[in-house]
Amino acid sequence: MKVNACLVNEDQRDCYQELVNVAMGQAADHLARLVGAYVVLPIPKVSLIDNSDLNMAMHDAKRDTSVSAVCQGFIGSGIAGEALLLFKDTSFASLASLLKYQGPLNRQMELELLMDTASVLIAACINGIGEQLEIRFNQGTPVILGQHCMVDDILNSRQDKWQKTLAIEIHYTLEQLDVDCDLLLLFSEESVKKLNQRIDFLLD
Amino acid sequence: MNLNVLICDDSSFARKQMARSIPSDWPITLHYAEDGEQGVEAIRAGKGDVVFLDLTMPNLDGYGVLEAIRREDLPAMVIVVSGDIQPDAQERVKKLGAMAFIKKPIDAEKARTVLIQYGILTEV
Repeated sequence: MKVNACLVNEDQRDCYQELVNVAMGQAADHLARLVGAYVVLPIPKVSLIDNSDLNMAMHDAKRDTSVSAVCQGFIGSGIAGEALLLFKDTSFASLASLLKYQGPLNRQMELELLMDTASVLIAACINGIGEQLEIRFNQGTPVILGQHCMVDDILNSRQDKWQKTLAIEIHYTLEQLDVDCDLLLLFSEESVKKLNQRIDFLLD
Repeated sequence: MNLNVLICDDSSFARKQMARSIPSDWPITLHYAEDGEQGVEAIRAGKGDVVFLDLTMPNLDGYGVLEAIRREDLPAMVIVVSGDIQPDAQERVKKLGAMAFIKKPIDAEKARTVLIQYGILTEV
């Protein structure tokens, strides 16, 4: 994974990681209350990567698994980013029973589950980061990138959007349940410069 | 003799934020640990009369530190300061012997409130 030292120094990277740590804790709390299960939280990975390395950045476990994905843009104070949420397709059966969805688990229901969970996780995480940096992010409409796809196909479909990108990767699992998802937050190079100014202010 | 206070967090930013939140009128000697293993060592060395403990850390996490304190019967009053604010996490650390739980991000007000609540700091 290529880490461009010019864009983010070690102190800043540490600060991003801590801000995300707090934000994803809030997001996990929302999810835990929604599904009534404990959400296992890892240490988030923060890395500055080139577009070409984005595929590599994805969790290895998802390499050969079928996933469904949603993305949602957000913007505020001149900072623009995109949140990308990938669910392992095997997660939906557990999610459906946790959320007490009735009826057969078809694509339509998976879509609803995906949208419901995505809106909770993405909004909580983005708001958590925004609050700490004193930025009010406006969120765009979530867009389905695909159902039952390979990770590579989903990432390739967004290739042109991200040239050099600060990627924050968060991996969530539900304890003892087969629910597994990745949340990627992606910021453009221009936005990273503005984010860094706010980060430096916190570090002072 | 000053009270020994230990800040145990893997993030340098979080350690700084925590240190800034500690009441300035509190006569203490401050120590730092960058993961759970260092934290347990510091507590064994008597540097953690009061410990501000993070949960998500490499090597040994906060739960592991609490287990070690209990196993070795170390004299430490532990205040967990964590981003993992799920009710389950709060319950687990209380069961493992943590005295209090503070939700990140920490600030001076939250720190003072808890320290006074548990009689560690007396209000003037």
